[in-house]
Amino acid sequence: MIAQQIINAVSLGGVYALLALGLAIVFSIVGLINFAHGELMTLSGYALLAALVFGLPFPLAVLVAVSCGALAAVAMERIAFRPMRGASVTSLLLTSFAVSSLLKVVFQNGISARPQAVAMPGWMTGAFSFGDFTIGVGPSISIVVSALALIALEVFLRRSVTGTAMRAAAEDFNVVRLMGIPASRIIATAFLLSGLLAGLAAMLWVAQRASVDPLMGFTPVLKAFIAAVVGGLGSLPGAVAGGFLLGIIEVLLQATLPAAIAPYRDAIVLSGVIAVLLLRPQGLIPAVRVQRS
Amino acid sequence: MLSVEALKIRYGEVEAVRRVDLTVDSGEIIALVGANGAGKSSTLGAIAGLVPAASGKVVFDGAAITGMAPEAIARKGVALVPEGRRIFASLTVADNLRLGGAVHQSAAEAKLREEEMLELFPILRRYHRVKGGNLSGGEQQMLAIARALMSKPRMILLDEPSLGLAPQLIDTVFDLIAELRRKGLTILLVEQNVALALEIADRAVVLANGEVVLSGTARELASSDLVRQAYLGA
Repeated sequence: MIAQQIINAVSLGGVYALLALGLAIVFSIVGLINFAHGELMTLSGYALLAALVFGLPFPLAVLVAVSCGALAAVAMERIAFRPMRGASVTSLLLTSFAVSSLLKVVFQNGISARPQAVAMPGWMTGAFSFGDFTIGVGPSISIVVSALALIALEVFLRRSVTGTAMRAAAEDFNVVRLMGIPASRIIATAFLLSGLLAGLAAMLWVAQRASVDPLMGFTPVLKAFIAAVVGGLGSLPGAVAGGFLLGIIEVLLQATLPAAIAPYRDAIVLSGVIAVLLLRPQGLIPAVRVQRS
Repeated sequence: MLSVEALKIRYGEVEAVRRVDLTVDSGEIIALVGANGAGKSSTLGAIAGLVPAASGKVVFDGAAITGMAPEAIARKGVALVPEGRRIFASLTVADNLRLGGAVHQSAAEAKLREEEMLELFPILRRYHRVKGGNLSGGEQQMLAIARALMSKPRMILLDEPSLGLAPQLIDTVFDLIAELRRKGLTILLVEQNVALALEIADRAVVLANGEVVLSGTARELASSDLVRQAYLGA
């Protein structure tokens, strides 16, 4: 029972971490909180549904769905955010709200406001047991996928020139441009990565629920936003730490709170967030950003 | 090689640069001197594409580069070492150099270039794996110059390389600038330390309140009354 709860906690934390990381990557480069991040997740969910309906084998359908998330993120930047480059933070925020609302309406009117069932393969809902322990296949896959994605991202950011340039751009974007590295390449890569992460998170989210609806991305991305703020907005290690922390606390409270207090779970979690921010306003692991005149 | 014609720069209502004309020939060191707020850094910023020009023209190698993006100007072979060094503090010395040489050369060429830089700046070899933010001011200045040189620029714009450095380090930096010039690099140097700048430059341009008030060979300027009174304290 305890082992199962721990697996659930880490698996939920992993999804939050992937989403928070996507928000943090874009924020660290462009200074934008992309509120349409949740819609990238929803879109990947619908892409998975469509690919399965068209009869693609499951692994291929997942590949298509995740790619759709990544491409949609790049398209979003191209169409909505690039024309706004250099605009104030408020204008960027409003743009992201506009994109988010627009996509929600498209999903509601174009597909359906009601949840659509996604036929997940049977083995996903299975479990394997070691002696007394029973561990769900879904949450285990979720943990493995999150871990692999985090490692792959870390390798990309450390080893590749574009990844290194992204870390540098988070510190001082103009100087990166002085090195001859195009701003659009860095920004497009940031959105591509955030879309990939949202797509992966969508797969893990759908795998646990076997359905997609137009508002699917809202709650997890709200949580991821909280995680990113707690971790230190714009700090990538902070986003990961915040994501896992939030997921673990939520599941542990769920499991341990007496039934009478259980409805207050979110209130308790958010009070914790306020406490953290009172003590460490820059977050758990603050972002490095050069002070410029 | 580079010419700036009737350059004007505005920040909102404030006119930072009223009119600057200057030319830099291949292989020269030109010093752009003047008091704080005279418009020196803004002029460099406009040449490098970081600051938009309100009017006027910047021509590099016969082609107008006014209004081009900083990355495009960098690719043409103009490298700016910004004021305050602005090295990437959270990146290692190695990564700082790597980004400097990331464009328009193969990875193998960049590796060779890095080796040349480490020969030129032995201190950077010692701190190769250290984060830029942990270097001293002088070491950061070396890193900033080496990072700009990584792209094998044809012209380098140096913004206040002596700022905040101890006197013996200033000498080291200026010896290095002289050496780069001997190797054929064209240099536009912005400097508040006028005496030092005139020692090293071929020609100099004096800015005051966003306008060129005087220009000529470094020797002429060093003996001019205006420069002696206003900047050399004699």
